[in-house]
Amino acid sequence: MPEMTYLSAISDGLREEMRHDESVFCMGEDIGAFGGAFKVTDGFIEEFGADRVWDTPLAENAIIGTAVGAAVEGLRPVCEMQFADFIACGFDQLVNVAAKMHYRQGLAVPMVVRLPSGGGFSGGPYHSQNPEAWFLQSPGLKVVAPSTAEDAKGLIASAIRDPNPVVYLEHKHLYRRVKGEVPEGRYEVPLGKVRVAREGTDLTVISYGAMVGIALEATDDLDGASVEVIDLRSLVPLDIEGILASVRKTSKVVVLHEATRSCGVGAEVCALIAQEAFEDLDGPVMRVTAPDVPIPFSPPLERAVLPQVDDVKEACRELLAY
Amino acid sequence: MSSSPTSQAVEVTMPQMGVSVAEGTIVEWRKRVGDWVEADEPIVEISTDKVETEVPSPASGRVSEILVEAGSTVDVGTLLARIDAEARPGVAHADEGSEPEVPSSQFPVPSPGNGHGPPISPVVRRMADEHGVDLEQVEGSGRRGRVTKKDLLAFLGDKPDTRHQTPDTPAAEPALHSESPYREEEPAPAAGHQLSVMRRQIGEHMVRSIQTAAHCTTVVEADMSAIEAARGRLSYLPFVARATIAALREFPMLNATLEGDRLTVHDEVNLGIAVSLGDEGLIVPVVRNAHELSHEGLAARIKDLAERARSKKLTPDEVSGGTFTITNPGAFGALLATPIINQPQVAILDLEAVTKRPVVVGGDSIAIRPMTYLCMSWDHRALDGALAAQFLSAVRRHIEGWDG
Repeated sequence: MPEMTYLSAISDGLREEMRHDESVFCMGEDIGAFGGAFKVTDGFIEEFGADRVWDTPLAENAIIGTAVGAAVEGLRPVCEMQFADFIACGFDQLVNVAAKMHYRQGLAVPMVVRLPSGGGFSGGPYHSQNPEAWFLQSPGLKVVAPSTAEDAKGLIASAIRDPNPVVYLEHKHLYRRVKGEVPEGRYEVPLGKVRVAREGTDLTVISYGAMVGIALEATDDLDGASVEVIDLRSLVPLDIEGILASVRKTSKVVVLHEATRSCGVGAEVCALIAQEAFEDLDGPVMRVTAPDVPIPFSPPLERAVLPQVDDVKEACRELLAY
Repeated sequence: MSSSPTSQAVEVTMPQMGVSVAEGTIVEWRKRVGDWVEADEPIVEISTDKVETEVPSPASGRVSEILVEAGSTVDVGTLLARIDAEARPGVAHADEGSEPEVPSSQFPVPSPGNGHGPPISPVVRRMADEHGVDLEQVEGSGRRGRVTKKDLLAFLGDKPDTRHQTPDTPAAEPALHSESPYREEEPAPAAGHQLSVMRRQIGEHMVRSIQTAAHCTTVVEADMSAIEAARGRLSYLPFVARATIAALREFPMLNATLEGDRLTVHDEVNLGIAVSLGDEGLIVPVVRNAHELSHEGLAARIKDLAERARSKKLTPDEVSGGTFTITNPGAFGALLATPIINQPQVAILDLEAVTKRPVVVGGDSIAIRPMTYLCMSWDHRALDGALAAQFLSAVRRHIEGWDG
């Protein structure tokens, strides 16, 4: 299997789907001639032509609204938001139109919105956010967040083939840092199935996206403790059974994400565990997240805000000692 | 209260509660022998004839001796208990008080000296119940001596957690977001073609009518001679329509609509006329207040509606609200038909071909006359065959006795 970066795995998955299915097309700001702000669609306009790789105006509501119409008519649009932060401008079309279309009219909306998300590079408050929790509150959308190159390719394929609107969070910090072996050709990573990133017996760290790597690093050698790391991969639908299986085994849980704390994915996972696995718990369910603040520009401040390896170690030690 | 430290023991005595009080009664011991107690933590509850109060411990340490049982009344100054001040904290009872040191934990910790032991986690409580373990027998390694799941497993000799061994684990809750049931439609088969929207609507309407109404068809034969003589360049239809309206005034039960169990007999006649649109289908525009029109007025209205139906210029109001319908495929030579009622009306009259036939007239003579069959389907839920026959006979009477 060839080794690929997380970024080229996304490109590869997208390209494979476009080659195989003529109804798949891309739209977004500067994704054509320029190849995208992060070069995910580099070379696409040469291979697929301007009819299937659209450079759009700077109007996210128009991009997503157009995609909804195309999807209802049977195409499979993949929209790129240049930064996840800009999804706020397209929010109405996504949460009020795309998400509710099947409920109201029985129509499928097989579209994907790609969100380059996350911080860690001094991008400041408009280019660093992790807005996934907004979409957990919008029934009708699916939400995925890969952490590995293999999952990045498999999940973009599943997202494109799914008949529902899917929000695909791709973490910018992983684009060129994460590499891995990626199967050639087309394959799917199923939506709604966790990945056990490492097996363990003493404690479970549940995470997704960029924080999976942080969790693995923090618990690789943690005073000899055996720490299981669960990669959610799919935030909607959540793999409830996959989460509970790990909780039943270790009875101690740290939930870790880069997004802000209140009403986040971690809150949902913690509530689920509290309700469904109360009698399997041997300690409080803990969260390690960003505090409820915007992401600062300043590198030291940003490091203070985003969860770091040491923060995860501290939480795990605290819970292991409980 | 007074206490006298010895080499290792601190004494707890019955305190002097007031100048006039000479004795006190032990109400309840808050600690047992072996319990850890903090300085100033209540150790015993006493009462005198004036007051009930708690006696704070004079020192931190382990209760080594209790000398007076609850319920006893003793003099002020009597030795009640001894505390070993040099003992180390640890677990003697599962519900023992806390370590003196405040743990550097972010978890909520009961304030020292409230008499509660370290928490028992849900999984430990459940597993102890399942295995019948007295947790006081288990050495705790967790925060403040808490018995952890690991401690319990070690105590059990690594007997596993039984609950999740059995395959009858409760089924998982379904995901909060349900999978869309929508799947793309199968591609249409190569042969044949999709019905037009109009054909599908006609189909739905007809099938619903057949499934709704108790259809029954009654036929009478009518001699069209009088109309033939009067009609000039007009078709038979406006004359038959006029005759039908006259009969409806005599038998208003046919000028009705039935919806569910509710039958409405209408004052005005809104007459539906089926208009063929050729291959496309059929539409039934409605002549409103047809009872106010002569046969000439009817002819003009029917012509206008038919023309606009074929040029697709009818308004929705002009195809709804009918109270009775006439269909007229007779121009194509058919002899008999059993039409389907236009819901929610209760009857539909079918005017078939007018053909010259030998008929018996004026007693025993045979004559050649332009004859037709008037076929009417009616809803047996709303009326019975006798009424249908009477009505049709009235239509025939008006046709045969046409006098303009």
